[in-house]
Amino acid sequence: MSSARDRLEAIISEFADLDGREKLELLVDFANGLPALPAEYEARKAAEDRRVHECQTPVFLWTEVEGGMARIVAEVAPEAPTVKGFVAILAEAVNGRPVAEAALLPDDLLERMGLADVLGMMRSRGLRAIMARLKRGLVERSAQPA
Amino acid sequence: MSDAATDTVLVTTAWVAEHLSDPGIRIVESDEDRALYAMGHVPGAVEIDWHVDLQDPVQRDYIDRAAFEKLCAAKGISNDTTVVFYGDKNNWWACYAFWVFKLYGHRDCRIMDGGRKRWELDGRPWSTERVDPAPARYTAQEQDASIRALRDEVLKHQRAGKQLLDVRSPEEYRGERMHMPDYPNEGAVRGGHIPGALNVPWPMNCNDDGTFKTVKQLEKLYVRELKMKRRSPTIAYCRIGERSSLTWFVLKYLLGFGNVRNYDGSWLEWGNCVRVPIAKGAAPGGAAGSASTAPAVHA
Repeated sequence: MSSARDRLEAIISEFADLDGREKLELLVDFANGLPALPAEYEARKAAEDRRVHECQTPVFLWTEVEGGMARIVAEVAPEAPTVKGFVAILAEAVNGRPVAEAALLPDDLLERMGLADVLGMMRSRGLRAIMARLKRGLVERSAQPA
Repeated sequence: MSDAATDTVLVTTAWVAEHLSDPGIRIVESDEDRALYAMGHVPGAVEIDWHVDLQDPVQRDYIDRAAFEKLCAAKGISNDTTVVFYGDKNNWWACYAFWVFKLYGHRDCRIMDGGRKRWELDGRPWSTERVDPAPARYTAQEQDASIRALRDEVLKHQRAGKQLLDVRSPEEYRGERMHMPDYPNEGAVRGGHIPGALNVPWPMNCNDDGTFKTVKQLEKLYVRELKMKRRSPTIAYCRIGERSSLTWFVLKYLLGFGNVRNYDGSWLEWGNCVRVPIAKGAAPGGAAGSASTAPAVHA
């Protein structure tokens, strides 16, 4: 089974070859593929304050670590396909892989995918912040006793 | 809304649906989330993105006149085209794109009331087909300074105690919310508002379905309750100018304010400027200033 890094590199090169319009279409494909929020998380949305307040559109993120393996669980409103697609990409890369691998994911992925230019500076900054938050969340979570 | 005064500038989704193949009309989608257009757009609509298409890539400013002409030509927009803007988020970015088009003197701009949300609620079809309009010819005018406020003009305006509107959330206005833990500050090193500015959060202009409130309701808010004067110079701002372009649209086109400008530099500029006045707290003059609820903001 390939590492989180290898999985992400494969996705990056898939994006890199596309034109701007195709990149956005692929991002939408990823967004559509983000699994629905598992029922057990539904009640936790309000209780745990997992809402990302900076996003005007409701975005809920969990970083879980089970047996040293990372899992990103998320709910992103359908009217925010860029965030949703981006979270889906990160989930595809890290889910089921050791947390240490998640911490090593490259931070320049938007540039290398060619998405930074397509989305512009402000949106890219928002996505980088989500990535930083997820990476930090996984590392902190793995440091906590189960 | 069905007020006669707004029939021309504000169009319904039904009107747009009837005019999808009208060669004199170009429908333009402008979104906060660009991927929405790829997910599905109004059939025949082109996309113009505020961040990527309308911003100069080097200088912090809009694209210049020549680049605007090139953009319009590529999107199949000529000088006599009726351009109908719509988008996500209560048409924030649609209003912003509308404002940039007015900046370069485009004559016939409209907003589709309710934007994507209303189109969806009305059960109208989305298209994923690529739209490649035949190139047009376009000649833009010089920027219309009468709808744009630059920093020094805002400072002068503020000192003179003229009508100033902060359309951000009350938390941003009071200077409580800059950024959240774990998140980078989006760019301003100081929080608060421009002294004298009234806080009228943009959602007060809108209904839940994304449409604008009626002229009657808006008049009640701005003219009767806030006692704003239509003939007094007015400046609106938010964080980067997108929410305030919605309020600018409301004041200028729905309420007929004669002299209203959007401060597009907004808090991202003001909150970083050296030695500009800032007020914190709920009062327009700031907590340390006058706590009066009737500040001398109306020149």
